[in-house]
Amino acid sequence: MKTIMLVDDSATMLMSIKSVLVKAGYGVETASHGKEALTKITGGLRPDLIISDVNMPQMDGITFTREVRKTAGMRFTPILMLTTESEAGKRAEGKAAGATGWLVKPVQSDQLLGVIKQVVPGA
Amino acid sequence: MFGWGRKLTRRRPAAVEPARADGEVIARALSPLPAYCDVMTAHLKDIVDYTEESAMTTLGRMEEVDALAGTMAGDVASLARAVDMTQRQLGEMSESNSRLVLGLIRYFAQRDHRMAELVEEVRGLNRHVAAIDAVSRATNILALNAKIEATRAGEAGKGFSVVADEVRELAEESSKAAQDIGSSIRELTNRLHLAITDDSSVEADMAAEFDLGSVMTGQETAVTRRLLSVVETQRRLGEMFDEVLTDTVNAADQVSRTSSALTHSTTEAVGEIQSQDISRQMIEHVGTAVEEVQRQVQDVVGYTRGETAAEDLLAGVQHVDELRDRHVMARQRASHAAATGTAVAQTALPAIELF
Repeated sequence: MKTIMLVDDSATMLMSIKSVLVKAGYGVETASHGKEALTKITGGLRPDLIISDVNMPQMDGITFTREVRKTAGMRFTPILMLTTESEAGKRAEGKAAGATGWLVKPVQSDQLLGVIKQVVPGA
Repeated sequence: MFGWGRKLTRRRPAAVEPARADGEVIARALSPLPAYCDVMTAHLKDIVDYTEESAMTTLGRMEEVDALAGTMAGDVASLARAVDMTQRQLGEMSESNSRLVLGLIRYFAQRDHRMAELVEEVRGLNRHVAAIDAVSRATNILALNAKIEATRAGEAGKGFSVVADEVRELAEESSKAAQDIGSSIRELTNRLHLAITDDSSVEADMAAEFDLGSVMTGQETAVTRRLLSVVETQRRLGEMFDEVLTDTVNAADQVSRTSSALTHSTTEAVGEIQSQDISRQMIEHVGTAVEEVQRQVQDVVGYTRGETAAEDLLAGVQHVDELRDRHVMARQRASHAAATGTAVAQTALPAIELF
């Protein structure tokens, strides 16, 4: 079973996306902000995919992505930014930080699952 | 309805008055506004909390519906499997019964045919009986003649010798006829016994292909007519069961398809809950703007009371363009441009982009 880490400060987002992913057969780990997620990563968690919000307290999604890329074994793990941010500059920042893709909320469940199959080998 | 976007109109004074710079009046007029802003901010937070609670409850309900749909799909699948198995078992039983009845029909038809042959053979026995009867009568006459000749000859026995020879020949014929009768009766007894006890052909016929036409080669009898009726009744019952089971399977398929559609709909609906998060962020931006207004009002009050320097007051002034810079959503930028009458840069970035 592939494991996906969800990072978002919105409890609603975490619950709704987790529900879709679990039903699709994925294991899901959640974190409320980048710092909490990074603690889990440095603690040894190795998800097959990370889906992260951008604007979050304590550590935003772009900084989190940058830190994940510095972690051993996480250099090539796909990271999707799922955010309300539609501004081109922010998107370029995400790309430079090492994000794999950019998804603007709201994303339909079918579309999200389709993107996951594209970026996670064997998903 | 709720006053969103409504332009506030102010009453114009009847005559233009000279500008006044009464700081205390301005301070007193503005001083309630920070509290006013606090309440608005609190209300905005209430809205966020309320929509979040509502979204979480809706999510929970949808997951319950989804779980029920999953259970229903499982139950329907079990039912379909059970019905399919029952249908196959009924088919096998029906075929087995048909073969059994077919065997019985063939058995009775053949037995009746054998009985008819036996009747004919019994009729053939009458010929032997008639021969015996004729020989017996001739023997009687000869015996009578022998008695008369023997009486008449007295000591001379030539004639008696001839008669004795005839009697012997007749006796031999009589003996042969008796043997023929005995043989026929034994054969008849054996065949009758076989006709009554031998049902091996029933088993053999049960293994044969079901072909009623090939069975009914001879005349129908009372037994075969009733057995044919049994076959027909069973055939009709089998068709009725088959129709009922087929309808059940079709209904189960329909429920299964509906359940799948329901599951898909709930999954999509769960995805739509993201709108609450989007609304929350929009409201939080409004809350931030209200806090800015509050801060500026406090600065103005401070300035009018001599507590804030003019430079600090002017440095803290927020222009509406700065509010625009904090927007993260295209929709926010569009509504900002519409409200301020400015043009918005249209960026056609895709909603989903893989780098």
